Order: sequence, then C-alpha cells, then structure tokens
Amino acid sequence: MDDSHLKNGILVGFISGVLWGWVSLLSNYITGIGPIEQGFFRELLQYSIGGAIFGMIIGCLFLLVGSRMPFKKILPNAVVLSVFFWLALRLGGQILSHENYARYVTDSAETIQGFVLAVVLGCILGAFWKTENNENG
Amino acid sequence: MNKTFNLSTIALKDALWLTAGLILAVSSIIIVSYGADSIVMGVHDTFHDFRHAIGMPCH
Repeated sequence: MDDSHLKNGILVGFISGVLWGWVSLLSNYITGIGPIEQGFFRELLQYSIGGAIFGMIIGCLFLLVGSRMPFKKILPNAVVLSVFFWLALRLGGQILSHENYARYVTDSAETIQGFVLAVVLGCILGAFWKTENNENG
Repeated sequence: MNKTFNLSTIALKDALWLTAGLILAVSSIIIVSYGADSIVMGVHDTFHDFRHAIGMPCH
C-alpha cells in the first residue's frame, strides 16, 4: 500500500468536510430550516468540526470501497457513499425517535435538507478527489 | 478510481491504524449526530445547530 494514498484520502475528506460544513451553515442560514442559536464564530466552529469528522469518514470509506463501487466515475460513487452513510445515521436517529420521541423529534424539512447536503458532500468530495487524481495520479 | 486501496496489500500496521481511526471517527459522528450528552458532556449543546441542519432528530 502507498502510505500517501491513506494520507491524501483523509486530507481530501477533511478539506471536503470542512467546506461542506460551511456550505451547510450557509444553506441553513438561507433556508432558515434549522435553528441558528449561537454566535457566528461558534456556529462556524461547530459546522467545521462536524463537517470535518463527516468528511474524513466518507474519505476513508471511499479509499476502502471506492474501487468496488457500481459506477465508473468518481463523482457518482462519492455521492452514493455519502448518501448511504447519511441514511445509515438517519435510520439510527429514526430508531431513537421511535424509542423516545420527546427527545428525538424528527422534522421533514430538516431531513430533506440533510439529504440534499449529503449529496452536496459527495459532489464536493468527488470533485476534490478527481482534482487530486489529475494532479498526482 | 486510482486512489483506492487494494485491501489484500494493506500492511497490518496501516490496517490497524485505519480501523482504529475509522472506529474513532464513526463513534465521534454518532455522538455528535445524536447529541449523546451521557457519553460526552456538553456535546448536545455544542453541536445542536449542526445536528438540525444535517437532518438528525433532536428535541
């Protein structure tokens, strides 16, 4: 295994995730679907950290299973992986909501926004992955 | 699809690091996504708006 592949994959995931976090914050600000209860820098920080974690996971998973994905092109594969992981998390949330609805309230508008954002993360990751490949591979 | 692993050629040390990292990252996103204050105190409030924005259930 080329060690640089692992580092590049995690780095691409990290950068894509942070960027995705900012896009999510902007999207939430524009649509007003989710709450914005904290100051700008605290919002930016939580979206950046949350996005970075999410992005790194998708980046690592893409490294591992990217070659086994159904499509030939990188972008649709990244979108599928991102949406699949988001769906898995959302399904877990649905189970928690079923168990304790007062604590885990579901909201259709937020769910749709989350789904669209998962697609956006896949697009960002796919675009960065392609760029990185073209430059170095 | 150049930059992906062939799983059969991963060195044991790298595989262990990758597995440990993935477990840590997935655990982190689960704690963040569900606001599991019982595991990490204060995570619910810290990531409250992010959780709503990505469509995860919250109060």
